[in-house]
This record gives sequence, structure tokens and C-alpha cells, in this order.
Amino acid sequence: MSTDRIIQFELARLNAHLPGQRITLKDALSSSNPQVVAKDGSKHKFERMELEYISKIVHADDWDKLRLPILIGVNPKLGRGAAEISGEVEVKVISQVLGKTCRDQEIVIYRPEIAVVRAKLPTTTQYFFMVG
Amino acid sequence: MAKTIGVAPTRMELLKLKQRVSLAQKGHDLLREKMDALVIEFFGIVKRIREVRAGTMQQLSSAYRALSICFAMQGTIETYQAAREVTKVAEVDISTRHVMGILVPVVEAKPIERHALARGYGIHTTSSTLDDASREFERALGDLIKLAELEEGAREIALELEKTKRRVNALEYVILPNLKSMVKFISMRLDEMERENFSRLKRIKAMLEGRE
Amino acid sequence: MSFKIVTIADAETAAGFALAGVREVYIHEKKEATLVKLDELLASEGIGIIFITYSIAEELGFDFKRRMRAKKALPIVLRIPDKTGWVPKVDELQEIIRRTVGAEIIVKGGS
Repeated sequence: MSTDRIIQFELARLNAHLPGQRITLKDALSSSNPQVVAKDGSKHKFERMELEYISKIVHADDWDKLRLPILIGVNPKLGRGAAEISGEVEVKVISQVLGKTCRDQEIVIYRPEIAVVRAKLPTTTQYFFMVG
Repeated sequence: MAKTIGVAPTRMELLKLKQRVSLAQKGHDLLREKMDALVIEFFGIVKRIREVRAGTMQQLSSAYRALSICFAMQGTIETYQAAREVTKVAEVDISTRHVMGILVPVVEAKPIERHALARGYGIHTTSSTLDDASREFERALGDLIKLAELEEGAREIALELEKTKRRVNALEYVILPNLKSMVKFISMRLDEMERENFSRLKRIKAMLEGRE
Repeated sequence: MSFKIVTIADAETAAGFALAGVREVYIHEKKEATLVKLDELLASEGIGIIFITYSIAEELGFDFKRRMRAKKALPIVLRIPDKTGWVPKVDELQEIIRRTVGAEIIVKGGS
């Protein structure tokens, strides 16, 4: 059925903007042109101001543990308007942006908070739609 | 009725249909999340545009005023001549960033020399009104470059948002209701056929027993 | 990647931007000629931004709007006020907002 094919196509396209390989905060900070490349070859540039902001939140020892971009995980099962952030360092960064303190491995954030995060870190965060 | 639907009322078809409903539902829910996310992005950029626009328009006004003064003080021909003699070239670096399936431009002005000599118009026409006008337009240019980046970003996000919204609506108001009513129809037909079968078997059994 | 900036305007506006280093200008006179130039600029590589005044865009009318809908991402076309400061009554941004979001109610919470 052609509508099925369109749906499959749109679902495949949802995450097309994500890079094949993410890079660590450490590598991004030391690069003169910090960017990642998506699967279709298109480039995504990280804003230096965002990298510096993150480097002040994350302990230098963890700079090679944080992979960029930080993924905002969208899973409809969480309910409309909710998304999850995974990873201890990632959670720390996002919590800091939101003015919260959080030591969890995973947190759920909601639409107004997502807006704040995206406004503060537009190039170092990306949406990730959980299709599977 | 089965003829108008075009699908045979079998358990196999019912199963396939239910899978299609599942896919359409998943597609709808995820695309709706994408739509919501695009709305966040769009309003984020609109907010920044509003912040930048006011200051930019003011700066541009200042620039036009300074230019008027320059025309008055320096003379029209002299001002145009100076404009022609400028040697520096304003250029921009354009890279890209991803916003959910679309590429949005990142525009940065390449640094420009501030020194009057570097501006290029001859020393013999050094005048502060010319310098003022140049400076004001340089500032305006910086603001406008930023505005160009933001407005183009907003335009592309709006286009993607429109496209996504259409898909979500098609799924929600046409495709899913269609599929669900087909599922309902075939379920009902299958139940009906089973009941007919059941009562036929009962009659046959009664007939057989009656003969004995 | 490095890109050029071009101005399509009246002579005064163009002169102002030339002082800032925007050396490539096209002075608008007739609608048809300007449209030809616009198409040429839209098709050429190496141009990052085209500044065009609101007045000229308004004069080009639907022909301008159509090109804006059809064009690729680059060059970016930005409409700017000329020295008269004239801007169209309809705020296009508001129109886009109304069209894309429709009747959805947006809850203020950082958006």
C-alpha cells in the first residue's frame, strides 16, 4: 500500500539529521572547526559558545566521556510533549541548563523545558526519535 | 459490501489490516512529536528575530541618516565616488546546522578592517562624515547578516512544519479512521460468517440425528 | 565556505552598503530588467545574501513572491527598508505564524 510506503519513508527520515558518528566534547573543544557529519554527508556545525558553556559544567576528566550532540530522546510511549535524556554527564548538563540538580542516569523533561534547552544549546543538542 | 472494500474478509486480511493500523498509529504519533518539536524550534527563532529586528532597523535608520549628512556635507558626486573607491569586500561564511531532517544556514560575517585607509577611499577625501556613514553601515550590515540567517532559518522550519502537519492530519483524519473502519467491518463480517457456519452445522447435526 | 553579498536597491541605499564593503550592486530601474537580474543572481553560485529593498520587492509583486517560494536555500534573500523606511503593512512573519500554527494554542513556557 502506497500510504504504508510513505509512512515508512517519513519514519526513516525522522532521524536522518543525526550524525553517523558523534564526537566527544574533548575533540570538539580542540578542533578549529567542530562539526559532525550526517549519514547523507551534510555537515552540522557546533557553536563555540555552547561548547565553552558545556565545558564549564562538565569536569575536565569527563570531557572525553560526553558525546555530542546530546540527544533529546522522543518516545511517544512517554506521552506527548515528553522526552528523555540518558547518560550521567548528559543529565548533568541538561539539569544545569534547567537550573536543577540531578544525579540520575536518565531524566524525563517536558515541553517548556525542552524549549529552554533548545534555546540554550541549539547546535549541541538534537532530537532523536525512537522509532523502534 | 466486500466487493466495495476490495479486501476478502479473512483472518489473514484482518491481521494484515491490524498491522497497517499499528504502523499508521506509530507514524502518526511520531510525526506529531516531530511537529511539536518543529513548533518549539519555530517559535524559538521567531523570538530571536523579534529581538534582533528592532535593533537592526534602528541601526539602519542611523546609517541612512549618516549617509544623508554625508551627501549634504561631502556632496553627492563625491560620496558616490568614495563608495566606488572602497576596496574592502564584505563577505560571509555560510555553514549549516541540522534541525530535524532539514538543513538550516549558519551565517557569519567575515571580519572587516576598521581603519579608514583600509576602507579604501582616498586620503584626499578623508572626512569624518564619510567615516561615520561607513561605520554606521558596517554596523547595520553586521545586524542584517544575523537577521538574514534567522529569517532563512524560520522560513525553512515553517515549510517543514507545514509539510509535517499535513501528514499528521492525513493520518489522523483520513487514513487511520479508514483503516479502523475496515478492521471493524471485516471483524463483524468474520463473526457473522462464523455464526452462520455454526448454525448450519447445528442444523446438519439435527438432520443427521433425526434420521437415526 | 565564503560567499558574496549583493544589493538590489536605489542608488543611495546601494552607495551606503558599498561604503560597508558590499561592492556588488544592481540599481533598480524597470521591473522586468530587475526580475531578469534577480533570476540570474538566484541561479549563480557563490552568492550568500541578496539585500533587496521592501519598496522594490513590493513593486515586483507576485513575481517576487513566487521566486521566493521556489528558490533553494542559498542565496538568502533579505528585504530591507530603504531610506524612506517604508515597510509593507502586512507583517509577513505574523502571516507565516498564522498559517503554520493555525488555531493551535501555544502555552507560554519558554517558547
